[in-house]
Amino acid sequence: MVALVRAELQKLFTTRLWWVMLISALLYSGFVLVLVTAFAGVSGSPGVPASPGRDTPEYQQLAWSSGSAATLFVMILGIVMVTAEYRYQTITGTFLTTPRRGRVVTAKLLAGLVVGVLFGLATLALTAVVVIPAVSLSGGEVTLTDHGIPRIAGGVLASVALYALFGIGLGALIRNQIGAIMAGVAWVFVVEAILAVVPALRTVGKWTPGGASNALINVNVNTGLGEFDLLPAWGGAAVLVAYALLFAAVASLTTLRRDIT
Amino acid sequence: MSAIEIRNLFKSFGPVKAVNDVSFTVESGTVTGYLGPNGAGKTTTLRCLLGLVAADGGTALVNGHRYAELDHPLTEVGAVLEATNFHPGRSARNHLRVMCTAAGLPADRADDALAQVGLADVANKRVAGFSLGMRQRLALATALIGRPKVFILDEPANGLDPAGIQWLRGFLRHLAHEKGAAVLVSSHVLSEVEQTVDNVVIIAGGRLVHQGALADLTANGDHGVRVRADEDEKLAAAVEREGGRAERLGDGVLRVRGLDREAVGRIALDERILVSEMVQERSDLQKVFLELTGSAQNGSAGEPRPQVEWPQPRSTSGGDA
Ligand SMILES: Nc1ncnc2c1ncn2[C@@H]1O[C@H](COP(=O)(O)OP(=O)(O)OP(=O)(O)O)[C@@H](O)[C@H]1O
Ligand SMILES: [Mg+2]
Repeated sequence: MVALVRAELQKLFTTRLWWVMLISALLYSGFVLVLVTAFAGVSGSPGVPASPGRDTPEYQQLAWSSGSAATLFVMILGIVMVTAEYRYQTITGTFLTTPRRGRVVTAKLLAGLVVGVLFGLATLALTAVVVIPAVSLSGGEVTLTDHGIPRIAGGVLASVALYALFGIGLGALIRNQIGAIMAGVAWVFVVEAILAVVPALRTVGKWTPGGASNALINVNVNTGLGEFDLLPAWGGAAVLVAYALLFAAVASLTTLRRDIT
Repeated sequence: MSAIEIRNLFKSFGPVKAVNDVSFTVESGTVTGYLGPNGAGKTTTLRCLLGLVAADGGTALVNGHRYAELDHPLTEVGAVLEATNFHPGRSARNHLRVMCTAAGLPADRADDALAQVGLADVANKRVAGFSLGMRQRLALATALIGRPKVFILDEPANGLDPAGIQWLRGFLRHLAHEKGAAVLVSSHVLSEVEQTVDNVVIIAGGRLVHQGALADLTANGDHGVRVRADEDEKLAAAVEREGGRAERLGDGVLRVRGLDREAVGRIALDERILVSEMVQERSDLQKVFLELTGSAQNGSAGEPRPQVEWPQPRSTSGGDA
């Protein structure tokens, strides 16, 4: 299995997609970070509380959570790890090398976890590079061990990593690359957005990957949308893992068994 | 135990019986040509054998096992399927390295295999820039990295230039006859493999129509010995006295049946008849092949060694051909 996981990582790192996705993930979470930083302490319309200033621990909590923006790109990367094999028919060679198809999916999930952790660490590093100077310059006290920052950072890392699994499961289920990416993106931007915003649906929303990811990060900063109904952090992790495993298991019983012609 | 053993294999795609009760074996040390027109079921058979397509019935074994049960498949079986099985953004070397990693083979096997197929110079080039022939060579390299003793090749000559085809022929013979490998190679052009294969298995419409040594294929027909002699009538009479049959083709030429060349020559010598030409007639392989696959009526069989490809693929209506 170790050899298969190494082979999957090798597949990923011998094509260009991974760094395109890494740069996109960093740009996007960097963008969110810049917004959080630029508007820190700025009050919006009257009546709405000002967002926390750069010298507050709340700002640091918000800023550290911005890395979760990378989840989208990690999900796409996970999807492509599976669907590219069908798109370019490399799946033939893959299954000739490893005829037990379930092992291939398992190896991909483990490799996805490794890549997800790397992406998570990269976004956290970017966050540190922005947050630490921003807080210091505005006279605040940098906290890395307090105010729930370790849990938030850990949550970002975990949710970024687990979204890779989610993507792999989704890709295995929907072998068509464009179809799978569209489904994933539509889910994140449309379905989850609706579930998060409509109060009546929030109880459902906590069971979605996005809700699970929020549970992992769980920043208690009022963003104007009211309190989220969230699972405990471990529950969030479990939900994300469960999605990936469920998709992969269903795929193993259906799409993966199909003839490769 | 045969290196490759296919027994009563069936596979349908909807109404199309792509493979319909096919059985044959391939022994170590031989090259077997798997021949048939487009849509005959060759690729489907080979994909069943490689565990990529699930057969509806029957068994397909390599070294006595189903492919999916092999613990180290690349070291037992080298397979070449379509030429498109590569990620365009990955280099030739990296393609092979990934396979080496997954199969637990040393990474330098990748370079060995590339050198064997003549791609060493472009090892680090991305496959996107490869020609069809280069992809085909790379596909062949994937079959070589595990140094297997069984090769399953689906139209490996596709896209190769004449030098490449020449090389491939020699290479397949070398693998089988010197390294003792079992080679199963499919083609829809008999003349392409005629110089390479020891045995042929011919499939048409999903059914086997012939199986045996290549030599038997030509020995099938009713052959004659063509003789040109100045006293052809005298020779004809002598041949008939010796139990042969002589057909007068005119212009001093006879076709003798029932006697071999040596016997005919001896009669001519005894009768002191001057013979200016004598050949053993053979049925044209291509013609035999066309007849077997049921397309002989489409002509061109009489022309000298035509590179006939089947005018039409099999209709997908299925059913028993
Ligand atoms: N995935 C598929 N779905 C439906 N029908 C298929 C599929 N694959 C093959 N067939 C049908 O099965 C039959 C056999 O096809 P196959 O590819 O095995 O032929 P072949 O002998 O390899 O032909 P060629 O010389 O053109 O490569 C054809 O009628 C084809 O249309
Ligand atoms: Mg074919």
